[in-house]
Amino acid sequence: MRKFALLLRLVLPGLALFLAAGVLAQDPARTITGTVRNADGAPLSGATVALKDDKNTVTTGADGKFSIPAVSGKTTLVISYVGYITREVTVENAPMEIRLSENPAELSNVVVIGYGTTRKSDLTGSVVSIKADELKVIPATSLDQQLQGRAAGVQVTQISGKPGAETSIRIRGTSSINAGNEPLYVIDGMLVNSDGADMSAGGTRGPRISPLSSINPSDVESIEILKDASATAIYGARGANGVVLITTKRGKAGKGTINFETFQGWQTVANKLKVLNAAQYADFVNEGRLNAGQIPVYVNPPNLGKGTDWQDELFRTAPMANYQLSFSGGTDRTKYNISGSLFDQKGIIESSNFKRYSFRSNLEQKVNDKLTVGATLSYSRLASKGVLTNGGQIVPGVVTSALLFNPVLPVYNSSVNGGYTFENDRGKILGNPIAEAKEYTSNTVLSRFLGNAFAQYSFNKNWIFKTTFGLDAYTNSENSFGPNFLKRTQASNGEASLGRSIGSTWLNENTLSYNNNFGGRHQVNAVLGYTLQQFQNEQMFVYAFDFPDNRTGYHNIGSALNPQKPSNSESEWSMVSYLGRANYTLDDKYLFTLTGRVDGSSKFAEGNKYGFFPSGAFAWRVSKERFMENLEAINDLKLRASYGIIGNQAIPPYQSLALVGPFGEGVFNAGNSYEVFTGREPLSYVNRNLKWETTRQLDLGIDLSMLRNRITFTADYYNKRTNDLLLASPIPLTTGFNYTLLNIGNINNWGVDLDLRTINLKGQLEWTSSVNFSLNRNKILNLNSETDVILQNSILLREGVSIGTFYGYQFDGIFQSDAEAASSPVLVGQEAGAPNPASRAKAGDRRYRDINKDGKIDANDRTILGSAQPKFTWGFGNTLSYKNLELSFFFQGSQGNKMANLNNLDLLNFNGQQNVLAEAGLDRWTPTNPSNKYPRALSAGSLDVGLVSSAIVEDASYIRLRNVTLGYNLPGRIIRKAGMSNLRLYVSGTNLFTITKYSGYDPEANTFGQSTTLLGLDLGGYPQARVYQVGLSATF
Amino acid sequence: MKKNHFKISMLLLAGCLAMLSSCKKFLEEDPKNLVTIQNFYKTEADAIAAVNSIYAYLNSVDNFASGGNTAGVYHSTFWVAMGLASDEMLNNQLGAANFDQLSSFSYTSMNPSFEEIWGMHYKTISLANIAIARIPGISMNETLRDRLVGEAKFLRGLMYFNLVRMYGKVPLLLEENNPLLPEKSDVDAVYTQIIQDLKDAAADLPASYPAGNGRGRATSGAANAILAKVYLTQKNWEQAAVFAKKVIDSQEYSLWDDFADVFKLSSRGGKEAIFSVGFGDAGGAIIFWEVGQFNVRLLPTALSVEGVQNAQGWQFPTQYIYNQFEVDDRRRAVTFLTEINDPAGAYTIRPYVKKYWDRVAEPTGNSSSNDFPVIRYADVLLMYAEALNELDQSGPAHTYINMVRKRARFNGTTYANAVADYSGLSKDQFRDAVLKERMMEFVFEGQRWFDLVRTGKLQQLVPLAKPGVVPATRNNLFPLPQREVDLNPKLGQNEGY
Repeated sequence: MRKFALLLRLVLPGLALFLAAGVLAQDPARTITGTVRNADGAPLSGATVALKDDKNTVTTGADGKFSIPAVSGKTTLVISYVGYITREVTVENAPMEIRLSENPAELSNVVVIGYGTTRKSDLTGSVVSIKADELKVIPATSLDQQLQGRAAGVQVTQISGKPGAETSIRIRGTSSINAGNEPLYVIDGMLVNSDGADMSAGGTRGPRISPLSSINPSDVESIEILKDASATAIYGARGANGVVLITTKRGKAGKGTINFETFQGWQTVANKLKVLNAAQYADFVNEGRLNAGQIPVYVNPPNLGKGTDWQDELFRTAPMANYQLSFSGGTDRTKYNISGSLFDQKGIIESSNFKRYSFRSNLEQKVNDKLTVGATLSYSRLASKGVLTNGGQIVPGVVTSALLFNPVLPVYNSSVNGGYTFENDRGKILGNPIAEAKEYTSNTVLSRFLGNAFAQYSFNKNWIFKTTFGLDAYTNSENSFGPNFLKRTQASNGEASLGRSIGSTWLNENTLSYNNNFGGRHQVNAVLGYTLQQFQNEQMFVYAFDFPDNRTGYHNIGSALNPQKPSNSESEWSMVSYLGRANYTLDDKYLFTLTGRVDGSSKFAEGNKYGFFPSGAFAWRVSKERFMENLEAINDLKLRASYGIIGNQAIPPYQSLALVGPFGEGVFNAGNSYEVFTGREPLSYVNRNLKWETTRQLDLGIDLSMLRNRITFTADYYNKRTNDLLLASPIPLTTGFNYTLLNIGNINNWGVDLDLRTINLKGQLEWTSSVNFSLNRNKILNLNSETDVILQNSILLREGVSIGTFYGYQFDGIFQSDAEAASSPVLVGQEAGAPNPASRAKAGDRRYRDINKDGKIDANDRTILGSAQPKFTWGFGNTLSYKNLELSFFFQGSQGNKMANLNNLDLLNFNGQQNVLAEAGLDRWTPTNPSNKYPRALSAGSLDVGLVSSAIVEDASYIRLRNVTLGYNLPGRIIRKAGMSNLRLYVSGTNLFTITKYSGYDPEANTFGQSTTLLGLDLGGYPQARVYQVGLSATF
Repeated sequence: MKKNHFKISMLLLAGCLAMLSSCKKFLEEDPKNLVTIQNFYKTEADAIAAVNSIYAYLNSVDNFASGGNTAGVYHSTFWVAMGLASDEMLNNQLGAANFDQLSSFSYTSMNPSFEEIWGMHYKTISLANIAIARIPGISMNETLRDRLVGEAKFLRGLMYFNLVRMYGKVPLLLEENNPLLPEKSDVDAVYTQIIQDLKDAAADLPASYPAGNGRGRATSGAANAILAKVYLTQKNWEQAAVFAKKVIDSQEYSLWDDFADVFKLSSRGGKEAIFSVGFGDAGGAIIFWEVGQFNVRLLPTALSVEGVQNAQGWQFPTQYIYNQFEVDDRRRAVTFLTEINDPAGAYTIRPYVKKYWDRVAEPTGNSSSNDFPVIRYADVLLMYAEALNELDQSGPAHTYINMVRKRARFNGTTYANAVADYSGLSKDQFRDAVLKERMMEFVFEGQRWFDLVRTGKLQQLVPLAKPGVVPATRNNLFPLPQREVDLNPKLGQNEGY
């Protein structure tokens, strides 16, 4: 059958040629002219026109017109255009009118790369492209959340359940320790500021708001993720962590459409931790006191019943809602897409919420045949109320407090100021979490303008000059107030703060691009560019203590009796860059790419300002070779290889300068008079030799498409080595400082990204699946330090281990007898002759392993307890459609990563000063319950307090049903009556279940946010929500 | 036509390249809100600010070493540690395992107190080093310049004196820029430098300052008093006597008649204060964490019924030292609080230390504005008495110890029939007497561990106050903080840790 088709293909053009020859042979000098238009009649500029089997090609002008010399004997024109179905037409004498129709499959093959677009088949680098259809499956606050589990090699972690909170994104591992690991974000060509620290004004309680949450996810057309050096080198010093290109929706020529989308959702806390109830806790406290020779405090524990469930008091079912309206359309000269949206989410913790109002206008206008101008403009306003989560100063955050607070106490106490039970009464200093959540105000309002205007001039079909000017400007205000009756404000007697951050980034880019085809076999395109970018930011922070009247709060900070010194700061950096890229394709089979960028950054000292970042790539479309043509099963097969050097400059400015500033102050008292003095001193240990971190990356990849494209598969192997790591290195206190930034160290990341998409069933019941798999191995090769660096008392940085390696004592069960305890290695102070008898080890105390066999347990017995780096992460999505119904479900997970559950330092501390995990507290060691896992209750003298050990480092692997959505498209005959062209209704559930052994709220939590080194530490974070939604989307 | 276009594009490119020349400036950092080290240390005001920054680490600053909490050499951890690691103080602060360990001598190099103490001392030293290196190059009033350098040297000497006594061999860093990983110096070398710094300071510092205009800064008397203590610690009795006598002969200082007056706020910087560290928010003029820790830390929570706020009672004295006082010793009544005047009926509690609390000036306790006495005149008298006894000048030795005892029996109006003058003590008896006198005079003044180690009595006396707690020989020095030992392999650890 196939052979016959081949025969036809060879014979038919020949036949046509024969028929046409008679006509054309008479006028050899004639040219063929015509216009190429799309289905709506709009001219298509840049379409390729060629005579079949002839090497000469031309491209259409801005008006879609072309003219090509006729060649005798060639009677078929081939017209192709990216995103449209290629047509072959017979040459006519009169000017021809050729219409191309869009190729939906081909459209999805257009891939945005830095400073240009390309076809997927022409890619030489490693790029993941995710289209809007895929993203919208999960209705999310922020588009970074939607990326989770969608792309191989991209690890997205939801570090907090706070509405609008930032996520952590790692593309191909952790390649830096201090210079930032978040990727570069480019929105419609604008390199934007995505560093939450820059935008933060210092007044927010809890995790920062993600800068990406200011982008309305519904506006996004596609997201491209550049992973290898070939793709990212065009972004030079900012490409080392990968690049995320976000393209928003454009108007299309044709009939205008109106689209309305909305959803309503309900959120509940996904998981609650079981702690002791009042009766159990009282019993536990009494036992601990008896064990320490003290008098019990609770007379009849069982009478206390359940008491207060502080988590139930803190968490709530919270609604969320989204409304979006957009208008889109255009003519052959003008295109528009205008949208507005409102998103309103309440948090599952009392008082927390997030609101976003956003507006976008994308416009494009052809001024004349040569000149096109356009702009993408967006404005968004985020308003968020936060609650203090995480560790917190003075007293811990509300989640920690709710877990640890004495359940015997009631929430409210009308006899004290404020009306709340004031504090925990059992020793651990805790404020009432309900009072804190409800009464401590923390408001953030972020306004952000993001726009990019361009003018593009086509000199001719080969040369195009484009200049853009982009602006990303924001103002952020963060205000907080704590009334004077909270534990947190006990010392200050009420506190208020006002923080303001105003900043902007402007970017001017000028590129000249060239595109030509020589003799049909040699396709060349190149781009050269010069860009300037500057970032400016100023911040102001004022705060005050002592508010005798709580009513006006931060709204009248002047009412404070004890105003504090205001502070402000400024920050500025700038970059000058020269970039270039050349692609050469031979015979559509052999593809070569050379890319380079020279970046100059103000952040580095004189002499180290400039860096050059080159890369090269080669791809071979094996399927285009003659020997593959007979393989019917293979539609496309491409092998890729790339290598390059990219940089990381993500450190704060002014690091190479030695700054002197006011710091300390004090008072000389003389009798009843005093003299205040202020000192000035160097603010940091200075390193004048700071320079770029550089990452060398090798990528080997394969793209395969089989069985009439029903199976597509991409695999990449990569190996990255980062040198000159900017390390905030602890230095001896004898310097007068504790940390400084040094260019030391190397890190290696290697891994495999796999992506498989299949169409399992076709027809009335259609079933498609996608699987992605990411494996990364991270290793610190050199820290330039022979000694271990231990962070937060729990994370080890050492040559040969991965970043995020946990370090601590090895828990080894419970002593079952006093004799055993007395004869075993124990902590200093626990030995049999220890000065404090209460501290001496006894039956029921924890045993730790004597790693160095010196007969005692001390800092030298700490050992590696696992790593926060997963062995692999994965995503698995399925879509089933039958007639108008569509069901999709998406699983996602992480395997082999550990988490240090720092909450358990308290929740497994049996001194009775705070509540404990129910499972542990009820199974505590007693002579009649010889637990080998949990110690005895002991209210005084215990020495293994706050000890990071294997008892709190847990397996945090998980499998999560991230989302299930059932959608229904109403039949056309019904909705057309209402003037609609499309109406979709759906119900959806997010975070429906998680399979994990982790004992905390959520295996993804990370108290230290986007920190590069403090991974996998969980301390009182905002828990994740489970979300149920109903929504609709209507197009008119 | 085509050529024209090419020309235009070349022109544009040339335009871009022309901007290159301005790039250099475009990439320069010029933070307007910050002063760089290149343009600092130029003026008289800079010199004063450089020296002020040293003082600022004595009271309350952000603890740069561990971050977050409030520290300062004399803020609290130092004097609490020196009290707990002796017979005078017990820990009552829940959850403060570092203090429990100090009290029971079960501490290790991981104890965070040592990191704070070490870090704060070296921070102060590093700032003194900068001042000593930079100020001589500033053109300014020469008297003031010498005085400022003298202040820096006094503070550096004082810090090294604390360090060498606590840790033994320590890195002796004297330059503005020192090796990142320094070696330790011999104890003798450290002492030689301390004596040099203090002698230089004594030569360049004034005897006193006017109140409100420098009172509280280091003086020649302060340098001599610390020198006396340095020599006393070295058992160089002759020199100890020489420098103590210099302070006495200067006529700058005298004892308050009533021991109760020593700790009144109105006595701050007064006639008995030789060198003190100021605390307090200067009436709200500066941030609240500059206030002292005495009231919040030492007063019992039970005082809340008397209107006292935020008293935590975190540390209290051993019953043993309380019992050492005669009933009518004025110091017992001034130093300790044992009764709560609850409106519902007064009752007795175990002793707490209240001597730093000026109840009239600070009725609610809470924010304490008292000075911490680094050295006061009574100390000089007792040092002189101790040195004279060692030099076999028994008569004068008795005279000077009795000056302190006489004040102790003055109850505000009359001299009680108690705390009798000593007479005819043997040399050994006198040694015990002066050590006991120091115990009663300097309760919770950060002296006790130093005195017990200096006299070799740590192992003997602690078990009397804390039954079952027997300090080891290693406890005559503290362990170097584990962080420093980890980061600087040249340090090594003290014997026994």
